[in-house]
Amino acid sequence: MSEIKIKTDVKAKIGLILTYVLLIAFTFLAIYPLLWLLSNSFKTTTEFQLNKLGLPNNIVLINYADAWVRGKFGVLIMNSFIYTGLTTVFVVLFSFMAGFAFAKIPHRATKFLSGSFIIGLLLTLQSIMVPLFLMVNWVGLYNTRLGVLLPYIGIGMPLGVYLGTEYIKSIPDALIESARLDGAKYGRIFFSIILPMAKPAAITLAILTVTGTWNEFMLINILTSNDSIKSLPVGIQAFAGALSSDYGKQFAALVIGLIPMLAFYMVFRKEITKGVSAGAVKG
Amino acid sequence: MNKRVKSINYVKKEEGRAYWLLVLPGLIIYFSIMAFPTIFSVVLSLSNYKGGPLFGNRTPFELVGFKWYANLLKDEYFFMALNNNFKIVLVSVFGQIPLGFFLAYILHRGMVKGKIFFQTMIYLPCVISTVVIGILWKSFFAPNGAFPELVKIFNPDYETQLLSHPMAPVLFVIFWMYTGTYLIIFLANLQKIDTSILEAAKIDGATEMQVLKYIVLPALSGVIVTTCILAISGSLKSFDLIYVMTSGGPANRTTVLSLYMFDKAFKGAPKYPLANAISTVMVMISFILIWITMRVEKRFGGRT
Repeated sequence: MSEIKIKTDVKAKIGLILTYVLLIAFTFLAIYPLLWLLSNSFKTTTEFQLNKLGLPNNIVLINYADAWVRGKFGVLIMNSFIYTGLTTVFVVLFSFMAGFAFAKIPHRATKFLSGSFIIGLLLTLQSIMVPLFLMVNWVGLYNTRLGVLLPYIGIGMPLGVYLGTEYIKSIPDALIESARLDGAKYGRIFFSIILPMAKPAAITLAILTVTGTWNEFMLINILTSNDSIKSLPVGIQAFAGALSSDYGKQFAALVIGLIPMLAFYMVFRKEITKGVSAGAVKG
Repeated sequence: MNKRVKSINYVKKEEGRAYWLLVLPGLIIYFSIMAFPTIFSVVLSLSNYKGGPLFGNRTPFELVGFKWYANLLKDEYFFMALNNNFKIVLVSVFGQIPLGFFLAYILHRGMVKGKIFFQTMIYLPCVISTVVIGILWKSFFAPNGAFPELVKIFNPDYETQLLSHPMAPVLFVIFWMYTGTYLIIFLANLQKIDTSILEAAKIDGATEMQVLKYIVLPALSGVIVTTCILAISGSLKSFDLIYVMTSGGPANRTTVLSLYMFDKAFKGAPKYPLANAISTVMVMISFILIWITMRVEKRFGGRT
């Protein structure tokens, strides 16, 4: 009897150790390239050529200073903040406004309109890329911030309307009705009842919009050519392309490029994790 | 004392106005940014448009039918791109999803400590810009980069063969980058399963494999379908990473549909109709694959 117990104990122990080994191995695989990048960003290019895998002999910070100045990272980061911030605010606001109307104000247009937003979940950026490029040129918005922001907001709408409608449906009608009886207009109800109550869904949507917009590359790459309005990813790509053999500076630029998202991830880890599984509806 | 009596008509009118005020800002942007361009793209793919203003153009805009689609069928690079896209779909569906599920399952059931730590670290590559990831791996796999040296530690006779398998590094990076997404999705849904059912099954003498097969997998069948759809459509759309890592080279051997389309539209003389034929085909392939996935689920799953 006790022998069996010991046997299963040993088996369980071995299983547990194997599990840990596996997990640690995968974790190492996941972050090793990033550590490799960080370590190499402190080497001069000459040292990197001689020592590609090891740690730096002495830490050189000049790469960072050079990259920051030559890559105009100050401007790029500011642009990325502008695009990401404004896109997120407007996506959350407009899509929850529409979601409120769809969920709580009966109207015969709702079926068609909310359906057309849902179809948007299946559309791809590729099929609107060329038309958008042409349209932005025709209306004279090529190489302007507005010409980037409007597409970003439009692209964020389908998921936003979907999440917003679903969440706002769960807010009790009685709250809205009593506010109506007190004479509140719908605009006021939206800002003082709906938005505060839909905060969890708004946070999820905001997180998804922030990560999506900050990292977006394909569209902004074709809609801008002017250095002063490029975003961080486009700027990094251009910088690395121009300095493809100066590894030290290139690695420093990459580290600068990953810090903002890394910080965002560390602060909002829980919300991001939740957002990813909630956003899995997007096909 | 007296509440102002509003006529029903007045209320209705106000409701209607409020409805449109709430809906219109988003609707106008959405229709002009997504709905109209999608239709426009299909029209372009059937036309001979060569650029320039749409109205008052000297060379008028004519519909030419399915000419560009027929051209695609004769284009070997189109099939090369399609083939590479299917490789990515395979890596996602049969690599990332099973591994993501496996890792999520041992995190959930394995009683390990530091679950959050492991989850956070494995998901980390997904939050970083694809551009940063792409350049990082490009220099890692470069012929004079770190990868050949790393392999030489284990096998001193190694000669770099990456040129003869240019898709291999790309597929590896895709696998590396996105597995964490599936880990997160599966973990979130595993946590929704009532643990008392699992415990009861264990007490009744079910083995771990039986628990997995008869309780966990059926409960997750819906999520598995969702992740497959996500993986298929994501794989067909993949662009950033390959654009940065290889730009489709050498000799178009790592190109994918979206990259090939991008080249046709924005490199050299623009071929907008052809590019839009490619993107329309992409949407159709993606719809068909998703439809097949849902049929398969209906047939074999659906016990939830």
